[in-house]
Amino acid sequence: MTLSGEFLAFLSLAVVSVMGGVLLLNLTKVVHVIVALVFTFISIAGIFVLLSAEFLAVAQILLYSGAITIIMLFGIMLTRHDDTSETKAGGLRKVLLFLGVLGFAFSVYIGIYNLDFGQVPNTLHENNTEQIGMALFSKYIIPFELTSVLLLAALIGAIILAKKDDEKGAEKE
Amino acid sequence: MVEDLLHSSAGWLNFGIFFLLAVVLLLVVLGFVTYAILAERKVMGYMQMRHGPNQVGGRWGLLQTVADVLKLLLKEDVIPKLADRPLFIIAPVIAFAPAFMVLATIPFTDKFQFADIGVGLLYYIAVSGITTVGIVTGAWASNNKYALLGGMRAAAQMISYEIPLIMSVVGVVLLSGSLNLNDIVEAQKNGWFIVWQPIGFIVFFIAAVAELNRVPFDLPEAESELIAGFHIEYSGFRWAFFMLAEYVYFFAMAALITVLFLGGWLPLPFLGFIPGAVWFALKFTAVVFILLWFRSTFPRVRADQLMEFGWKVLLPIALANIFLTALIMELVKLF
Repeated sequence: MTLSGEFLAFLSLAVVSVMGGVLLLNLTKVVHVIVALVFTFISIAGIFVLLSAEFLAVAQILLYSGAITIIMLFGIMLTRHDDTSETKAGGLRKVLLFLGVLGFAFSVYIGIYNLDFGQVPNTLHENNTEQIGMALFSKYIIPFELTSVLLLAALIGAIILAKKDDEKGAEKE
Repeated sequence: MVEDLLHSSAGWLNFGIFFLLAVVLLLVVLGFVTYAILAERKVMGYMQMRHGPNQVGGRWGLLQTVADVLKLLLKEDVIPKLADRPLFIIAPVIAFAPAFMVLATIPFTDKFQFADIGVGLLYYIAVSGITTVGIVTGAWASNNKYALLGGMRAAAQMISYEIPLIMSVVGVVLLSGSLNLNDIVEAQKNGWFIVWQPIGFIVFFIAAVAELNRVPFDLPEAESELIAGFHIEYSGFRWAFFMLAEYVYFFAMAALITVLFLGGWLPLPFLGFIPGAVWFALKFTAVVFILLWFRSTFPRVRADQLMEFGWKVLLPIALANIFLTALIMELVKLF
């Protein structure tokens, strides 16, 4: 493997995303955890760019920057100010967890080590925004529309739930 | 030139070239920010029947901002005792870095552009959203109720106004058939999109002012209700970073409006002998002036009016604009 710019970029993005993930699990304050999450999401978007999937990368940042801000607000509003979470795990549980992690790592290793998709020449990397659009609105139109109906239903459900709370609050007052 | 550089193998020379280009751009942007602040104070001064800065650096106060920045550099760097120290330090960086990143995709002329990305328009809007994370982080880390209120407002405002912002450019994307900013400028050869998309332009402009957190939508830092909003506990150079991010977005957004709706570097008919860079600068200056004009003439809206206006007025208008544009395009195709 040659040390190309792409490899260096991949390496730094991968390190940042893994570090973000590890910090996400190890930090104790809610807002710190969310900031670690930001780094993970952004570096994964960077990896999408390296795979020449710019549209996916940009969509990831576009959706998650808003989503993370909302998570942060909920984290601030729903937890106490100086709240930190502490792990209360016994020795046996830690050993079992470690075995589980080892087993998972082993199975993933076996699963992907000799995986061969075969080199199929494709044109997915050129004009991929256009290709995604074409695919979504011709071949996958029904799943796409179903997803939008599902999202609409979720949206209306959220509005109804929020409204109900409001009326109850008004009655109490 | 940049294309060749991107495909060559990595080495210290290439790294040096990229680094140098980035530093040059940073210096240009800093120069712009310096004089944009002066211009803002001068324009506001004359609009309010006074002179504005006129002591430091001659009659026009040309060195006023330089003196202000020097003062900021020498100021004591205060971190409140009860602040969340690591977040307090990292927040200005998270807020500023995306502001500089978005500049990479904006085409200033047909040759002067750093990255010609296929999804340039979406890239701009997506990356600019990260700044809000920095603002909310800083607001929370300050451990101050006014800062937190400002941060909450910034988050709510960003999410409500990002949607009309994206929806209003869909008309432009439909007409030009591309998300690439170069292609969008090329598609305006037959008339700028401000002519073909007047509704989209107005919605975009209003949403852009809201995204920039400027008057009349400057609720996150409304000085008369929240003292200074999210950056109240910041001082010295950390505060300067927040300000810098704000003015770099000012620069970037004015450039983006020029590119999307005013034809970028394209000249008016019969005036093609004037170079593209001059045209871009002229249109850009006009947009900047209008934004300054807004600041000195509009009163601030209330928080509930802000949300209502975003969701009940701008969003339906933007959706209707998309529908209308698609309908007219299909009708034109038919006949």
